[in-house]
Formats: sequence, C-alpha cells, structure tokens
Amino acid sequence: MNRHFTEEELTLYYYGEARRREDIDAHLGTCTACATTYKEIAATLAMIATPDAPARGEQYGLEVWQRIRHKLPEQNAPWWTPWIRSDRLAWAAVAATIVVAAFVAGRVWERQPASPAVPTAAEATRSAPSAEVTRRILLTSVADHLDRSERLLIDIMNTPDRSDIATEQAWADDLLTTSRLYRQDAIDAGEQSVATVLDDLERSLIEIVHSPSRISAADLEQIRRRIDAAALLFKVRVLGDELRQRDAAPTRQIS
Amino acid sequence: MDATEAAAVLARARQGDSEAFRALVERHSRSVFRLAFRMTGNEQDAEDVVQESFLRAYKQLGRFESRANFGTWLYRIVANCSVDMMRMKQARHDQSRGDSLDAAVQMPAAGTPGPERLAESAQIQRRVQEALGGLSPLERAAFTLRHYEGRSIDEISRTLGLGTSAAKHSVFRAVKKLRISLAPLRSSPGSARLSAERSAGSQP
Repeated sequence: MNRHFTEEELTLYYYGEARRREDIDAHLGTCTACATTYKEIAATLAMIATPDAPARGEQYGLEVWQRIRHKLPEQNAPWWTPWIRSDRLAWAAVAATIVVAAFVAGRVWERQPASPAVPTAAEATRSAPSAEVTRRILLTSVADHLDRSERLLIDIMNTPDRSDIATEQAWADDLLTTSRLYRQDAIDAGEQSVATVLDDLERSLIEIVHSPSRISAADLEQIRRRIDAAALLFKVRVLGDELRQRDAAPTRQIS
Repeated sequence: MDATEAAAVLARARQGDSEAFRALVERHSRSVFRLAFRMTGNEQDAEDVVQESFLRAYKQLGRFESRANFGTWLYRIVANCSVDMMRMKQARHDQSRGDSLDAAVQMPAAGTPGPERLAESAQIQRRVQEALGGLSPLERAAFTLRHYEGRSIDEISRTLGLGTSAAKHSVFRAVKKLRISLAPLRSSPGSARLSAERSAGSQP
C-alpha cells in the first residue's frame, strides 16, 4: 500500500470507522508523513475530554415539568387519533357494518355488468385509501425535507463573509438529490404548488453547490439576494407548516 | 418503569394525557440535560434546550412512531434544538467570533501563554473550550456526537437530518479546526501527559 492516507481517513481511523484498517495499520508503520499527521490528530483529540455536566438531583425531572407544564402547546396528533375514542369507534364500527351490508346486498340483489369506462363505487373506495396514504407520506417527507432546507438556508444567510462553505455545500448536495425526487413525486401526485417551491429551492441549492467553497463576499451576497428575491425562506417555512397542518388534519380530500 | 409500562405511558402521552407526558419528562430530563450541556457547553443554554426539547417533543408526539424508541427520538430532538440554540446565539452575536478556518487558526495565537503556564490541565481544558467555541453550530454538534457521545457517522447523519457526506464533512471540519487551534498546546508538557493517559485507553 503506497498511497498516503488523507486526514479524513485518519480521523475515521482514530474513531474506529475507517475501511481497510489493516492497510492503514501497515502504512502508518512505514510512512513517517502519515504517522506524524495521525499522531497530531490523535494528540489533539486525546486532549478533548468529555465535559462533566453540572449535577442535577433526583427532583430535576419534576423541576423541568413544573417549568414547562404551563407552556405545553397543542399536540399535532396523528389524523387517526380522534377515531380511537370509544364513542367514535362505535360509530365507525356501525358505519363499517352498513358499508359491508350494502356491499353484500348489492352483490346478491342483482348482478349487472358494469360499464368498463366508469369505475364502480367499490373500486373507488378500495383505491382511495392507498392513494391518500401515499399522499400523506409524501407530504410528511416533503415537510421534513423543507425543515432541513430551511436550516441550510438560514446557515447560508448567517455565514460570515469569506467563509469556507464546504460543509454547507455537501449538505446542499444531499438536499438537492432528495429535492429532485420529491419534486417529481409531487408532480405525479398533482401537488403543483409543492413542486413549484421545490423547483425554486433547487435553483438556490444548485447555486450553493456550484459556488467555490472559499466563497467571496460578492458571491455570497449574490446567493443571499436571490434567496431574498425569491422569498425562498418564507415560502419554504410556510409550505412546511402547511404540509404539517394537512398531515395533522383528519382525512379529507386534498386538492 | 419496565418496557411494557413505558409503552403504555407513551401511548397515553400520544393521546394527549399530560400526566403521562410528565412521567416521560421526569424519566428523561437528566439525560436530556447532559446531552444539551455537551452540545452547547453552557449550563444556562442547556437548561433552555431541555425546556424547548420537551415542548417540541410534546407538540410532535403525534408524529412519533410507536415502534421507534422514544429515547432515540427525543435524543434527535435535543440534538437539533441544541443546534438551533447555537445558531441563534451565533446570529445574535452577529458572527463576531467568526466561523472560518482562518478564525480558528488565529484564535490561539492571540496572547498565547508559554508552555509552562499551559501545563495545568484546567488551563488546557479552558483552551479546548475556546477552540470548540470557534466551531460552527453544525460542526460542534457533529463533533459532540462523534467524540463525546461515540455515535457513528451514520447515526450522526440520522440524528441531525443530514446526508452521510455532510455529516462526515462536519466532523472532519471540526477536527481540522481543532487540530489547528490546539497546535500550540500539543507540545506542552501538561497536554502531552494528558494525551498519553487518554491514548493508552480505547483509541487505536
């Protein structure tokens, strides 16, 4: 093994996460440069001891509870939660019985060939829940994606001039890949407004990814201006909230 | 509280039973504080994170999947609350400390004391805290999870909602900045002793 190892590989090696550990072991025994770098990394990290958190007594949990109990917000309960109340459950059971009875009665009463062009009510009922569930999963996933994107955009808006934004770029690159997939899903699901915001978001992500990592003040300002001009942070935040509200709302037709 | 009882408490909390949520708060508060303190490095900030984390958790209980582990789910909330707290503080201070590698490189140079004065472990730890203060919120969070909490890169990625490459990059950037910032300390007798003692343990 002749090639040198990068600092990243040696850092992973220190933390026991490197691939080909045996190769690194062998290389460090023969390469002075890599051994020196590794010693520096190890010596630095060995200096950083886990801090002792100030002690908290047995009653601490109770103290925390007393502090937050009056601030507890309304929960975003899952859409099905209201239905597990016993009275509603009973009504749901009655409704289900009626539906089943109607279905059986319909089958026994008269067998007529259905028009192939028009789906039967039973078919529509069968297909509706799965489409609804798929849509809900999409909305929740996009809402989470928008949360992460919002955090990145805030980071970019607050980054000091002439910073190294390599970390943010790697993050933006991950988000970009995900965003493209969600946008296509949103188009397929007829969620045009979601697709439009994701499209706007992708433009800014692409700009961040393709900027130099040691970004100049002017380039950074340009990215920020475009984010501002598109009201992107606002759109991302509002859409994220809206999707969460839709997800939390009882099942209904989503346009 | 055994596993069955914990699941029952959690189920009640998810249905809006605040007394059940109180049991969860009492059970997890100390571990939440410990993580928040490691993340923020500040007692008051950690207290704020504890409160905010439980408030967020309560609000989002409906989104918690009952098959998942509540502790793990809460852990993620705490980590992300800590990042938000650090970002807020950073923005409030108008980035005066700086976030760049250059800032990290320059920091220890100002008024660097001689090696004799650095021999004391307390002083070394103070300098370490200063160096940690030079990291961006995301770098500090990723580093805390990797170095103090022993989380793998994959776990860090899931906890902070980042891609694997972004999580890895955050840890690398943090280590690189710390390595540069703490370079003057590595040659001091106190740090050499400290390093030797700690290196003798678990690390390769």
